[in-house]
Amino acid sequence: MKYPLFKSGIEQKKSRWGLFFVIPSILFFSLFSFYPIFTALYTSFFRKKLLSLQPPDFIALQNYAYLLKSPDFWNSIRATAVFTIGTFIPIVILSLILANFIVSRKRFQQFFQMAYYSPAVLSSVVVAVIWLLIFDPRGLGNQVLNFLFNSPGVDHKFLANSIMVQISTMVVYSWKYLGYFTIIFIVGLTTIPQSTHEAALIDGASRWQDFYYITLPLLKPTTVLVSVMSMLQCLKTFSTQYLFTQGGAPMAPINVITLNIYHTAIRDHRIGRASAMSVILFFIMLIFTWLQFRVSRSEEVSY
Amino acid sequence: MKRVVILFAIVFLLSLSAYAQQKIEIIYWTHEDPNRTEIENRYIEEFEAANPGVTIKRVTNPSNKMAEIVLTAFAANQGPDMFNLQIEDEYAYIVNNRLAPIDYKAAGYDSLEAVYQDYMPGTLDSVTFENNLYGLPMELTNWCIYLNKRVFWDAGLDPDKDYPKTWEEMVEVSEKIVIRDGEIITRRGFDFRYPYYLVAMVPMAEQLGGKLISDDGKKAIINDEAWLKFLTYMQQWGPNGKNLGSPTYTNARNLFNKDNNDIAMCQSGLYQQGRIRADNPEFYDSGDWAVIPYPLFEDAVRDVASAYYGHYFVVNQQKPKENQEITWKFISYMLNYPEEYLVKVGLIQPKVRLMESDEFKNMPYSDVFRQDMERGHIVYYGENSAIIQQHIREAVESVMLAGRTPEAALQVLKLKVQEVLEEE
Repeated sequence: MKYPLFKSGIEQKKSRWGLFFVIPSILFFSLFSFYPIFTALYTSFFRKKLLSLQPPDFIALQNYAYLLKSPDFWNSIRATAVFTIGTFIPIVILSLILANFIVSRKRFQQFFQMAYYSPAVLSSVVVAVIWLLIFDPRGLGNQVLNFLFNSPGVDHKFLANSIMVQISTMVVYSWKYLGYFTIIFIVGLTTIPQSTHEAALIDGASRWQDFYYITLPLLKPTTVLVSVMSMLQCLKTFSTQYLFTQGGAPMAPINVITLNIYHTAIRDHRIGRASAMSVILFFIMLIFTWLQFRVSRSEEVSY
Repeated sequence: MKRVVILFAIVFLLSLSAYAQQKIEIIYWTHEDPNRTEIENRYIEEFEAANPGVTIKRVTNPSNKMAEIVLTAFAANQGPDMFNLQIEDEYAYIVNNRLAPIDYKAAGYDSLEAVYQDYMPGTLDSVTFENNLYGLPMELTNWCIYLNKRVFWDAGLDPDKDYPKTWEEMVEVSEKIVIRDGEIITRRGFDFRYPYYLVAMVPMAEQLGGKLISDDGKKAIINDEAWLKFLTYMQQWGPNGKNLGSPTYTNARNLFNKDNNDIAMCQSGLYQQGRIRADNPEFYDSGDWAVIPYPLFEDAVRDVASAYYGHYFVVNQQKPKENQEITWKFISYMLNYPEEYLVKVGLIQPKVRLMESDEFKNMPYSDVFRQDMERGHIVYYGENSAIIQQHIREAVESVMLAGRTPEAALQVLKLKVQEVLEEE
């Protein structure tokens, strides 16, 4: 049953109070999200230099036309796609496994939650600096792998090889955010009534069948939330790639769109072109989010 | 009664203007340098005492963040009264009219000509634009090669005779010094200054007859053969060649000061001496280090040393005129002590009087730096210098780390730099 927006009586009062409480958020988002989005869209139609005091030239869609022909920009699309696919899928799968592992523990649940979550509270800069030390040719990374594989003296070139540097950024990002999404899955798992699991087990379901036929379908809203959030985070990745390139890693393999935007604006002073890139990234994120919701939309499961 | 009111009004206005004068605050942004902070804080105290009502707020930022921080502030029209940057980053501010021309009277000169006469010839060219002078140099720096004699002795080499004079010898000497654990280098012979390709590496291509930009400014990357040889040299230096070093190893400048037997040679400026003294006085006093000239290729056609770059003090033209005047006065006050900048910080202010002073001549290895500076030229500067440097970086990284051939890397480099030139 649908309610009209303005009604008399209690519903009207509720609506007014709802509006009152929402206004601060609307103002906040208007100022810090919508305004920059529209400004970026507007700026993307101009040839504008960051330091110039001259009025910018209106060039319509030329910035977009340039980007669509630019091999550098397509390389950024490739780098972003590789990073996103290589990071968000493992994050979703591993955090689901970890969440199940933690929930199934009878003891030390809080300890595991804290241990896995702790990297998420570190700033990305600190994380990248820690991993730069680990990935140094004489650092812990080579030592540990060479000990495990009994391969003394092998340099795994974590930052010095085009493929390895991409894997390194994925490892760092997954390490940082795995705990965060694990906690979200744990919250989702705890909302599933224990009685449902017990009923399935009494009916003769194995642990795996319980997980596959009971847990996974009931966890679908959480899974969609985690996959959308982690995908958006991955598409926006910046600081790991930025700090790795500052540390000597080659730029081209990890020149994700955000890094390209940063360099185009700050190094090259071309704010119009950088704005066009950010608008394209915005639409990519919008399309993929819509797709994910569409693909995962189905009848709600309840038992 | 009327007279009393007028008198009160005059006194009130005078006190207001005096109050306004008292409120002048000059914001000065600069990069971190502990040795310089010490002396400049003293100059600020002295200047404030001599100019009541003026306060100077000195703000330091990490040197690798300075360009970004200043740019962001200026983009929002919130730049400081004065700042300093490397000329490659600073030049865009000049051509975009963001800087105030020098107020030579406030700076204590009789004429603009007198300012030029105070400095070594050519050293103000990069901050001269459309007959105006926009900056005064805090430092003009070139890089030579610092050498740790103890590492040479440990490798069975005589540092006085066996030091590398050519880039080919640099490879030979490094191969004798380098120690590896399998593929992992635990002691390096030499480390390039990787982020600074325009200063440290373009001269290598120039020695072979190459040029970054043609004389008419229209064509990029001149003389393919020279650039190919340079890129091949870097490919051979890297982990896929002779494995003598890579941009991913820890920057050698700080390691050099520690003298812990993991680097024999690094590239740095005269200022490095102050840092060795501060970080490791025992090593500094031992004299077991030396400075040697920038090497040449054996078949070099030009004798070019590393390029020199300048940090120039400049003034924000968006600030009120009276702020600009006080700022130039303050800049000139600080620059009146080039000897102290040299001895305590290791910075060369290219004033005629300093270059002929005993302080300069008595600095260890100042003759090596001076001779190399005469062999070199100012770094390429322009609105597009940062993006060109990035393209050179990509070319070098691609041959050293990504397995691209020098020929393919050169093709991409030429196309990209040419595109930058044509877009301007």
